[in-house]
Amino acid sequence: MTQLAVTGLTKAFGGRPVLTDVDLDVPEGSLTAILGPSGSGKTTLLRIIVGFEHADGGTVTLGGAVVDGPGAHVPAERRRVGYVPQEGCLFPHLTVAANVGFGLPRPERRTQAIGDLLDAVGLAGLGGRYPHQLSGGQQQRVALARALAIKPSLVLLDEPFGSLDANLRATIRADVKRLLAEAGATAVLVTHDQDEALSTADRVAVLRDGIVAQCAAPMDLYTMPADPELARFIGDANLVDGILGDGSVETILGPLPVQSSGRASLNPGPVTVLVRPEQIDIAAKNGTHGLDGRIVAYGYHGHDAVVHVVPELEPGLPAIVVRTLGGCRLPAGSPVTLHARGPVLAWQR
Amino acid sequence: MASSQTLLRSGPPGGPATPPAGLARRAKRPVFLIAASCLVAALLATPLVFLLFEAQGAGASAVAHLIFRSLTASLLWNTIRLTIVVTALCTVIGTGAAWCIERTNLPGKRVWEILIVVPLAIPDFVVSFGWASLWTWVQGFRGAVVVMTLAVYPLVYLPVAASFRAADPGQEEVARSLGVGRLRTFTRITLAQARGAILGGCVLVAMVMLAEYGAFEILGYQTFTTEIFGEFSLSFSVPAACALSLVLVALSLLVLGGEGIAARGRGRVSRSGPLVARNLPPRRLGKATLPVLACFAALVVLALGVPVGSSIYWIFQGGAHAISGVTVPTAALTTAGYGIGAAAVDTVLALPLAMLAVRGTGRIRHLLERSTYLVLAMPGVVAAFALSYFTEHYANGFGYQSAPLLILCYAIMFFPLALVGVKASLARAPASLDDMARSLGQRRLAVLLRVTLRLALPGLAAAFCLVFLSVVTELTATLLLIPTGAQTLSTQFWAYESNLSYGQAAPFALVMIAIAALPSYVLGRFFNRSGNAEGITIT
Repeated sequence: MTQLAVTGLTKAFGGRPVLTDVDLDVPEGSLTAILGPSGSGKTTLLRIIVGFEHADGGTVTLGGAVVDGPGAHVPAERRRVGYVPQEGCLFPHLTVAANVGFGLPRPERRTQAIGDLLDAVGLAGLGGRYPHQLSGGQQQRVALARALAIKPSLVLLDEPFGSLDANLRATIRADVKRLLAEAGATAVLVTHDQDEALSTADRVAVLRDGIVAQCAAPMDLYTMPADPELARFIGDANLVDGILGDGSVETILGPLPVQSSGRASLNPGPVTVLVRPEQIDIAAKNGTHGLDGRIVAYGYHGHDAVVHVVPELEPGLPAIVVRTLGGCRLPAGSPVTLHARGPVLAWQR
Repeated sequence: MASSQTLLRSGPPGGPATPPAGLARRAKRPVFLIAASCLVAALLATPLVFLLFEAQGAGASAVAHLIFRSLTASLLWNTIRLTIVVTALCTVIGTGAAWCIERTNLPGKRVWEILIVVPLAIPDFVVSFGWASLWTWVQGFRGAVVVMTLAVYPLVYLPVAASFRAADPGQEEVARSLGVGRLRTFTRITLAQARGAILGGCVLVAMVMLAEYGAFEILGYQTFTTEIFGEFSLSFSVPAACALSLVLVALSLLVLGGEGIAARGRGRVSRSGPLVARNLPPRRLGKATLPVLACFAALVVLALGVPVGSSIYWIFQGGAHAISGVTVPTAALTTAGYGIGAAAVDTVLALPLAMLAVRGTGRIRHLLERSTYLVLAMPGVVAAFALSYFTEHYANGFGYQSAPLLILCYAIMFFPLALVGVKASLARAPASLDDMARSLGQRRLAVLLRVTLRLALPGLAAAFCLVFLSVVTELTATLLLIPTGAQTLSTQFWAYESNLSYGQAAPFALVMIAIAALPSYVLGRFFNRSGNAEGITIT
């Protein structure tokens, strides 16, 4: 069942359109990430769903009830949407326990439920502290506990891990995913970090130019992006020209099989082909059949290495990006041969 | 997990058949806030409106004739030369002291920090009394320069010290690393960073020079304010008082406008990057330590020691001409009553405007906030004169010389102080926390009580105290508007002082110093703390 449905949503600020036509469905119990570059309107969309902003057009439906639509606007305090903002936004004058209990009716503010929630987020015994006595990660955990305390119909997380350092981020991300799952909560996570979106969410909606360009499971999004631009946005991508023949496509990297799912809609002829960097093997030039080139740049990341290779015969083409596990021991300038592995995705050119 | 049922229970009322989309969906304008703010702005403008009204009544040609005469020129000369000399001296003393305290290894910083700010709490007319009652050479221009400089230099010191604290120390290090010498770094970076603060301090000093009455009266130095006071309350020459008031208001507007133009986009204190609690290592004074200490000691003796010492001296010395008057506790009680009244009125009046200023956007907000600055251009004597004469002659005596009118006058005069305080306090309760509270199911009123006002409370109390303290040390408007038979600390002091009953006047002076000094210190700490961008800590 769909817990949150957004249809045809538009919003402009001072004549500048931010959201032009947003459609989004969030199934109950799922964790959906909204992924977009800074300034793409992610936060605006979130603020409309919570009820802080009014949409200019379109509707927002929560659990089957229209909360923002023509002639209807349910104020934020009546939506039961838990909100975890970027900077935590804890109430500085209240203790951790009081923060968590803030949204509860007075008699429930001092019950064991608060302690249990703090336990769940790993802050047992810290209920008496004030927000400024907590670390950034702890503050985010309190913010999450506070949002969950009101038993929300939906939890919205606005780049909640942005201010944390890299090590902490991974831990908290995993914790939050587990907590949300335990609570059975439907959640929407806004982020500009594709790694975070792909690793945390069940579904990822890419927000681009004021619309949702694609909404799919992380793996589908990576392997079957809707268009070349999306392919480039999600992960590294080599977009090469090709000529589609019968079942395979002829490219600079040789003939490659085309993914069956997208093939039906394609006509034989010129196409743009997506070859992910990990689909290419690299070896010192050895005279075998493949694309000969020269290494122009080399980025070492420990677990893998990203190598940029310029084709020998056509040095004007953009460098081909290759990812190798563990790194390749060839210095920049080395002549190499590339081999691609299919199947690949293609779009009509 | 809350299902759709829970949502529906607390969910939207009614179906889709509701008002036209365009109207219903636009975010609500804070109509109530804007209306309330407009009312407050109108109230604040009343003295100015009355003044123009009265000038009209006195006849435009008569007023023009009174403006363009040699007296105006000589008053202008007196006011301007004093303002320039005192402002210059205050800039040097205030900036120098701020730099020594904030940026060097001066011994005993924490003590000096307090001692050199305390003189701000001493009413100018008490400083004047302290000096003039001991030495006869403290008279006229020379006396005015000495007394006023010592009384008001903290007005430059405080903002400049704050800006030194807030400034990015990295800029000085970068300048040095780029090969700029120490002295040039000081002028090009340090002073440039403090420029806005220095300018702001100078404007405050100039405004005090324009508005001060008591100190100049004691020193026998004639300025617009003393002349307006004399024309109105002694010679009962309303057209003359009107004419001079108009010139004085114009002069004040000139100072404020000049500041607005000079300060535009300059000397901003900004830190790039994350705020870190890192400061430059203090400059070592070395051989200069002793001379600098001597200067600080001298400043404290002159600005604090003389007025306090003189008052104590006169208590023991007694005075020749004993006259009757109210006792200190009686006067203190009256003063407190007026002070609490005015402070309460001001805190409430400042709330809507401050809310608009901190939370709102748009042109109306800007215009409204700006309009309240007009009050700054109304020296107390002008406001009091306008209100007093208006109630007496045009309102059939309604409210004339009544406590409410005096409180109203105080409230108008000190509104800018309250606004600054209330704005600072509301800034401690950011709108994002309100949003947060609403998403947790709290209604607007609950949000206001549980979050906004709760966070703003310490600041509101500070704004209240600020106004209260100003009332305690106010003399000019009080003399003009005080109900018959009542005496405040300042008016009773004034009555004794004018009669040369120094021994009787001195206890009132000391009580005013005591009431004003301690809370001023606490307030100073509060505003310093809230001025820092270190986040909110409530202990």
